[in-house]
Amino acid sequence: MLTATPLTFPIGRPPSRVPTVGIGWRHPHYAQLLQERPALDFIEVHSENFFAPGGAALAVLREGRAIYPVSLHGVGLSLGSAIGIDEWHLEQLARLVRDIDPVRVSDHASFARGRVAPHGDVHAADLLPVPFSTDALDVMCTNVQRVQDRLQRPIAVENLSAYLRWQGDAMSEPEFLTTLARRTGCQLLVDVNNIYVNARNDSLNDERNDPVAQCRQWLDAIAGAPVAEIHLAGHADCGDIVIDDHGSRVCTEVWSLYRHAIARFGAVPTLIEWDTDVPDLQVLLDEAALAREAAGEALAQGTAAPVSLMEAVT
Amino acid sequence: MSTLAAAQDALLGAIFTPPQDGAAHARAQALTPLVHTPWQRGLATYRANAHASAERSLLAAYPVIAALIGEESFALMARDFWHQNPPSRGDLAQWGEALASFIADNSQLADVPYLADVARVEWALHRIAGARDAQADPASFALLSSVDPAELTLRLPPGSAVRVSDWPVASLVTAHLHGEPALEQVAARVQAREPENALVWRQGLRPCVRACSNAEAALMASLLDRQPLLAALDAALAADPAFDLASWLPAAVQQGLLLGAEPLEANAHPQKEPAA
Repeated sequence: MLTATPLTFPIGRPPSRVPTVGIGWRHPHYAQLLQERPALDFIEVHSENFFAPGGAALAVLREGRAIYPVSLHGVGLSLGSAIGIDEWHLEQLARLVRDIDPVRVSDHASFARGRVAPHGDVHAADLLPVPFSTDALDVMCTNVQRVQDRLQRPIAVENLSAYLRWQGDAMSEPEFLTTLARRTGCQLLVDVNNIYVNARNDSLNDERNDPVAQCRQWLDAIAGAPVAEIHLAGHADCGDIVIDDHGSRVCTEVWSLYRHAIARFGAVPTLIEWDTDVPDLQVLLDEAALAREAAGEALAQGTAAPVSLMEAVT
Repeated sequence: MSTLAAAQDALLGAIFTPPQDGAAHARAQALTPLVHTPWQRGLATYRANAHASAERSLLAAYPVIAALIGEESFALMARDFWHQNPPSRGDLAQWGEALASFIADNSQLADVPYLADVARVEWALHRIAGARDAQADPASFALLSSVDPAELTLRLPPGSAVRVSDWPVASLVTAHLHGEPALEQVAARVQAREPENALVWRQGLRPCVRACSNAEAALMASLLDRQPLLAALDAALAADPAFDLASWLPAAVQQGLLLGAEPLEANAHPQKEPAA
């Protein structure tokens, strides 16, 4: 357990009106970040990469934690699985949370676990979509509650980029997530790029869709109070599908949507994610600086955040 | 089973069934009424993601196998392995132990008969990288002069392992990981079918592997089974009557192979890491 670790580096405290901004800390930057200690408000890692009980990776994370607050972002809890949460997974996460004392803990509104003959229980190691149905909402509420009970803290649940859509949705995605937050007390993690990727893919199937307008509606529809972190990343346009590959700079449209999100949600902690073809650390730091700038603009404009219908009634 | 569970299992079934499999069509059909059209490109994307994850994750655990069979063959093997032995946990670092038996059963790899044994060594190296950290206790070796060797044992770094092989597995692994010995030398050893035992341990945070004698392999295997030092020594002497514990011990301590000595009753759990 890391307790009251003194910050050995004066991390630049942003003015209160600007959100804290962090970057995803990936293997190519482990050593450089520890050595150069750039001014960041937090770093984010994938929880599962540190599930081993010892060894070099965990030692590096502890060093990082001695310098920066850490946001633990999971990709494997499978919060939407009808067969429930894997006890082993939850135990590893609980141990890591005790060890690292993270500033936030999050995972996705997705599923990966299920049963496939002849193998039995499988984990797809991916973020598969759930239907926005009352059944799926009940399952996710139960699973989120179980995780929060074990960790003794709220977790933040992130919206997906989904490449399939289930039949039989009973509600919209913002309504699903808003209700999840209201029923479990969980926080929400809004990935602006994911919303945009989904809207782009929708527009490939129906040219009448305006992706940016669709995203604004999405952002206006979700409850603002539970939003605890915002993710920004790049995506790849493959022509017949847009893939959320976290492999490039944040695009102009997503920056514009980010300003909209900040105007609506306020100074929410913001993360730059980059997982494919990870570039020089400086590129990530540049993106982080752009996020601060964009958030500052959005907040300075003092746009009155539109209150969503959902929020007004829940 | 709930409708939701059935729908989720249908999507998982469609992703995990390889397109060339006889069941692929039926599984895609089962998904069709559950999802919006078009879904083919989305399913292909999830399958491609899965294949990329499988390759990346196995490459992290088995870099020597990848070097031995080549990138392209390794990628194909990783995909096949993914479909035939899907992960059951959400941490892919835990996935892949069965690759050695998968390789042994794979007729296409029969011309590389040492591959499965190399995989067993690499898996031990992969697992020890994240094993529990443990501190050495050099002062405890004083017990060797005060306690009956039938009543004490020696403590190894958690995750340590011995892999016995009919092939020069330690040389194959260190040649690719550390450039030592030279590849020509390893090729000659393979040609001559020189058997080797590989010893896997950790110096601090650094996973290590080297070849070891039959006597040392027998000794370490006994200690990993938490046998008394006396029994471990007997096992070593049975393998090689000339084994000299007095000269082996200081070298082993210096290499970090031994963390300390302890009375057997002190700590009754075996030193092998519990199965993942």
